[in-house]
Amino acid sequence: MDPDAVAKAFVEHYYRTFDSNRAGLVNLYQEGSMLTFEGAKTQGAQAIAAKLASLPFQQCMHNISTVDCQPSGPAGGMLVFVSGSLQLAGEQHPLKFSQMFHLMPTPQGSFFVLNDIFRLNYA
Amino acid sequence: MNPDTLAMAFVGLYYETFDKSRADLGSLYRQGSMLTFEGVKKKGVEAIVAKLTSLPFQQCQHNVSTIDCQPSGAGGILVFVSGSLQLPGEQYPLKFSEMFHLLGIPQGSFYVLNDIFRLNYA
Repeated sequence: MDPDAVAKAFVEHYYRTFDSNRAGLVNLYQEGSMLTFEGAKTQGAQAIAAKLASLPFQQCMHNISTVDCQPSGPAGGMLVFVSGSLQLAGEQHPLKFSQMFHLMPTPQGSFFVLNDIFRLNYA
Repeated sequence: MNPDTLAMAFVGLYYETFDKSRADLGSLYRQGSMLTFEGVKKKGVEAIVAKLTSLPFQQCQHNVSTIDCQPSGAGGILVFVSGSLQLPGEQYPLKFSEMFHLLGIPQGSFYVLNDIFRLNYA
């Protein structure tokens, strides 16, 4: 399958899960996964899911503007670089963000997130 | 060496080279390196340097706001940068985000295997 199409499909699945079933994100990470969210570092699927579930908003909607991807090396990993906006309920203006994922293949033919770095883009 | 320290040192070197001696960026890439610059994909040292030296500005200054890094597995380091790019004559700097995947070379230094750059429009 075309890597760009795989990246795009993963990204859409990720944000759809984030926006409609945030707890379900735990299935996209594994024990060695790392998240840096606005500078705060967390490791492991459970801790990462807990961090994301504890963010100070109940509802949100991610709108993706750009998705770039590149293969990360011989292990079959894929780097995905996303920019977009995050609309929070009740807020007039959406927040802009950039996020990078390093996806690694699973034996079942899917991907999990090994590395995840998120930053808001302030004006 | 502490990965955060390494990432900071690399980012400082990269943008200093970009801003003062852009053609010398070639020493930071290798044959298998990949650059995606505002959606345009390039591969290899020559093509990447040609792309960066052909950007529509002679001078520029990068100001880094944030640097995040994580080990990528197999000895590599992922570096995620946000900052602004000041072009001469422009009143307002451009905001950008950039990610680098650095791999180690035997001399104890690093090269850029993956590089993705995006401007952050308001």
